[in-house]
Amino acid sequence: MPLPESFRPRLPGILTAGMLALALSACGGGSLGEKDTGDAGGDGGGTVRVGLVIPQAGVYTPLGVDMQNGWNLWLDQHDGKMGDYTVETVTADEGEGPDTGVPAIQRLLTEGDVDALVGIVNSATALGVAEQVTEAETPLLIANAGAGPITKDAGSPYVWRTSFTNAQIAAAMGEHLAEEGVGPVYVMAPDYAAGQEVVAGFIEAFEAGGGTVAGQALTPFGKTQDFQPFLSGAQASGAKAVFVFYAGGEAVSFVKQYADFGLKDTLPLYGSGFLTEGGVLAAQGEAAVGVQTALHYSTEIDNESNKEFVEAYREAYDALPTVYAVQAYDAANVLARALKESTDLTGKAITDALDGLGTIDDSPRGPWSFNGQTPEQTIYLREVTDEGGTLLNSVVTDLGVHAQP
Amino acid sequence: MTGWFDENLVSILNGFAIGSLLFILAVGLSIVFGMMDVLNLAHGAFFLTGSYLAVSFVAGGSWGGYVTALGIAALVGLLAGGALSGMTEPLARRPILDQALLTLGISLIVAEVLSIAYGNDVLSVPPPPGLTGSVSVAGNAYPVYRLMLIVVGLLLALVVWLVVEKTSVGALVRASVADRDMVSALGIDNRKVKFAVLGIGSMLATVAGVLAAPVYGARPGLDKTILILALVVVVIGGLGSVRGALIGALLIGQVESLGRALVPEIASFILFGTLALVLVVRPRGLFGSRKLAHG
Repeated sequence: MPLPESFRPRLPGILTAGMLALALSACGGGSLGEKDTGDAGGDGGGTVRVGLVIPQAGVYTPLGVDMQNGWNLWLDQHDGKMGDYTVETVTADEGEGPDTGVPAIQRLLTEGDVDALVGIVNSATALGVAEQVTEAETPLLIANAGAGPITKDAGSPYVWRTSFTNAQIAAAMGEHLAEEGVGPVYVMAPDYAAGQEVVAGFIEAFEAGGGTVAGQALTPFGKTQDFQPFLSGAQASGAKAVFVFYAGGEAVSFVKQYADFGLKDTLPLYGSGFLTEGGVLAAQGEAAVGVQTALHYSTEIDNESNKEFVEAYREAYDALPTVYAVQAYDAANVLARALKESTDLTGKAITDALDGLGTIDDSPRGPWSFNGQTPEQTIYLREVTDEGGTLLNSVVTDLGVHAQP
Repeated sequence: MTGWFDENLVSILNGFAIGSLLFILAVGLSIVFGMMDVLNLAHGAFFLTGSYLAVSFVAGGSWGGYVTALGIAALVGLLAGGALSGMTEPLARRPILDQALLTLGISLIVAEVLSIAYGNDVLSVPPPPGLTGSVSVAGNAYPVYRLMLIVVGLLLALVVWLVVEKTSVGALVRASVADRDMVSALGIDNRKVKFAVLGIGSMLATVAGVLAAPVYGARPGLDKTILILALVVVVIGGLGSVRGALIGALLIGQVESLGRALVPEIASFILFGTLALVLVVRPRGLFGSRKLAHG
C-alpha cells in the first residue's frame, strides 16, 4: 500500500538523520589483529610483547603502512630481538580518531598483555590514553602525534615520544625566515589543535626574530577543498611570503591550487615538512618544485646511518622511506636500547632505562636525545627538487638543534 | 565599487565553478529524493567512483583519456543507479530511513572497494591538454579548467531544465514529484520511472566526479565531504526542483568562495549558517513543493 501523504518524509528531519548516519559511519570498528614476529622459544631472555598501534583504516592509513614498515625493518635487521628478548608484536588498528584509537589501546592493555606500546598518529588519541597507560604503568612510545601537551602539560612518566612537536618544527622555520628577512609573512593552517599549535609556534619565533606577520587564516579542517578564497586573502595582505601547515589531501589541494592561482610565481611558499612528505609529493607533481619546508628528517640527509637505512628500506619495500617510517624505526631502536639496560620488563624499569639513554647516535635523522621525554633534534630546511622525474626533499641546510619550545 | 569587484572577481568566478559542479552533483540527488523518496546516500560514493575512473583514464592527460573516462563513468553511473533502484525496490514500502541505511551501506562498500583498488594515497589528475594553464582575470591568475567547468555546468543545467520542463518525459518526472500515487493510478509503472531517474541521477554523479577530478583529485573520504555539500544544496534548494538545485548550488558556490574570502574568520560556520538561515525562513527550501509543507 502506498504511503499516505502525511507519512511522506519531512525534509529537514530526514536529511538530519541522513547526515547523522553519515557521521556515525565515519566511526568504524577497531580490530585487534595479532601478528608474531621473530621465533617463539628463542634462546634465553624470554619474550617482550609490544603493542603496535597504527591506523589501518581511514585517512591516515598511508602513515600506518609507513610506520609498520619502519618497525618491521628494524626488527628484521635485528633478528626480531631487542636485547635478549624476542619481540612479539601485537598490531591494533588506531583508526582515524580517539573514538576508535582509545578502545583499541584499552584492549591491548587489558587483554593484550603488552609490556610496551608503540605508535599513535592522532594527537587526540595520544592525549586520550595518557591516563590509562599511566594507570597500567605501561610505557608508551609515541611515533607520530605531535601535540605539545602530550609531553608537557598532560605529560606522564610513562608517555615518551620519538617524533616531534608541532611548534618545534614551526619555530625552527620562524627563526630561519626572520633571519633571512623575507619580509611580511602570511600564515595559514587548518583550524584544529595541530594547526593552531603550528601557527602559534611559528608566529612567536618569527616575531621574536624581528619578523612581521602580514595576516593569518585558519581554514576549516577537513571541509576545505578549495583554498582560493584564502589565497586571495594572502595576495591582498601585502605579504612577501607564505608559511603553511597542511598534510594529506589538504596538502595536495593546497600546493596545486597555490600554483594554479598563480601565487607560486609571486610569493615563495614555506611550510612544515608534512606539506611535501611521502605520498602527497607525487600527487602534487611539478606544482611542489621549489617549495621549502622544515622537518626533522629527509631521505637526502647526508650521514652513514641514513644511507644504509634508505637503501635497506628501498630494498625491502620498493619505496623511499618517509618521516613516519623513521619515527617507528627509531621507536624500535630506543626501546631496544632501553631493554638492554633495563633490569626487568616493568614499566618503571623500562622508563628509567629510557631516561638514561643519552644521545641516540645511529638514527637516520642524525643524532638526537630525549629532552623532557620528547626528541631534541636537528631540524632541516628542505627544498623540493625534481631529480630526473622523481621529486625529492633535498636538504638545503640544517636549522640547528631544537628542543620542544 | 569597481575596485571591490575587481578584487573579488576571482572569488566570484570560482563560486560559479564550484556551483556548477555542485549543481551537476545535486540535481540527481534532489530529483530522486523528491520523486521517489529514496535518499541516496551512495551519491557521494558514485561521485568518487567517477573521480577514480578519471585517475585510471586521464593518466596521460590526453583528450582521448578524458572523453573515455567521461563515457565509462556515465555508463557505470547509469548501471549503478539501475542496480540501486532494484535493490531499494523490496524496501519501497518500508520507512525511508531503511532505504537511506541501505544506500549508506552501499556507499561504505563502494568506498572500501575503491580504497582496496586504488590505495589510500591522494591521487591527482591533470586537466586535458589546452586547459592546463591559467588566464589573467582582472590582474589575477585563474585556471582555465575551472572556466570550462562553469560553461559545462551551465550547459548541463540548461539541458536538464529543458528535459524536465519541456518534454513529456520531464512532465512525467514532474508529475511523479507532485503526486506519485496519481501517476501510478494513471497506469504508469512507478518502478520504471524510478529506475530511469535513479540511473540518470547516478550518472550525473559519476560524470561530476570525472569533471571534478582535475580540481579535487581523488582520495578516500572525498565522497563524504562532497555528499554533505550536495545534501546542503538539496535542503536549500528544495526537493525535486531543478531550479532549486541550480539556485542552491550557485548560492552555496558563492558562500564557499566569496563568503569565505570576505569573512574568513567565520569560514567554518558560514556554510551551515546559511543552511540554518534558509531553514528558518523557508523550512521547505527556497523552491520546495508547497504541497509538502501541508503534508
